[in-house]
Amino acid sequence: MKRIRKQVSYTSREIAKTRAGLTVAADRMDCSPELFSQMRHELYGILSKYINTDDDNVRIQLTFFYRMKRGISDAKTIQIK
Amino acid sequence: MSEVIVITSGKGGVGKTTSTANIGAGLARLNKKVVLVDTDIGLRNLDVVMGLENRIIYNLVVVVEGNCRVKQALIRDRHYSGLYLLPSAQTRDKSAVAPEQMIKLADTLKQTFDYIIMDCPAGIEQGFRNAIAAADRAIVVTTPEVSAIRDADRIIGLLESSGVRKIDLIVNRIRMDMVNRGEMMSVEDVLDILSVNLIGAIPDEESVVIAANHGEPVLGSDTSAGSAYLNISRRILGETVPLMDLNEHISLFHRIAGLLGKK
Repeated sequence: MKRIRKQVSYTSREIAKTRAGLTVAADRMDCSPELFSQMRHELYGILSKYINTDDDNVRIQLTFFYRMKRGISDAKTIQIK
Repeated sequence: MSEVIVITSGKGGVGKTTSTANIGAGLARLNKKVVLVDTDIGLRNLDVVMGLENRIIYNLVVVVEGNCRVKQALIRDRHYSGLYLLPSAQTRDKSAVAPEQMIKLADTLKQTFDYIIMDCPAGIEQGFRNAIAAADRAIVVTTPEVSAIRDADRIIGLLESSGVRKIDLIVNRIRMDMVNRGEMMSVEDVLDILSVNLIGAIPDEESVVIAANHGEPVLGSDTSAGSAYLNISRRILGETVPLMDLNEHISLFHRIAGLLGKK
């Protein structure tokens, strides 16, 4: 199968895992994936005030702590592209 | 002490009904008295999966409305004498039953049976509410697909907020040859996302389809899906059964194909 990626080629397994992780995170936070990209733009706007960088080099990682699950707080780090 | 277990998934077609039939058969094989309740009113199919479709006289709605006794509606399985089915109604809709009536029904069934297993319809509406109303514990079925995982997470959230104390996960339709090639999420990948206790993983096998064609449980046959379901039944009883290595069951051909595909 041809993978549509520029440099690094991800397997469809990795792509599926990332997508599943992102949708589940978005659902749990009640925040749609479109809002994620809006958030990314706004965060980038703020960052660019302080750091000299261009859009392509920025990777924003967010760590969220979810509602308690069976007494264990569930933390997840997601990367918004 | 009898226990009410709901088998649910959110998404349709992931194997709830097949899992219900096989876990029921597994518990009956382990000498428990088990009743399977099909709560999918209007779209019944647990009877077909179990091969009991020609024996239905009364159904869930008739029982709940008080027009027959529970005992009259129960159908005994063809293979296991301790396994019974309470079929759903085909001609009514989900609003024919209310959650309180399901709780009452479960209380009646608890007098006779060790395990009451509710086969939940897809979705999160009334049918789901009915199925989980009396549940002590839940088994969520998912497949290694993004859509099924998303729905499973939503269902887990709903079960937690409804006060279901124990929630376990079945990952169904795993194809290790595809996992090894990097074209399918593994059981571990799914667990990373869902963070709930795994009770078993079922390999995607032809035997499951063939057994369903005959209206028989895959459990009891010499297949890895069959032994995976029996292991799940043992774990429900509280036994510690190690997870089986799904890789063991892949044929040499698939293994080589997997290696070549990996690159």
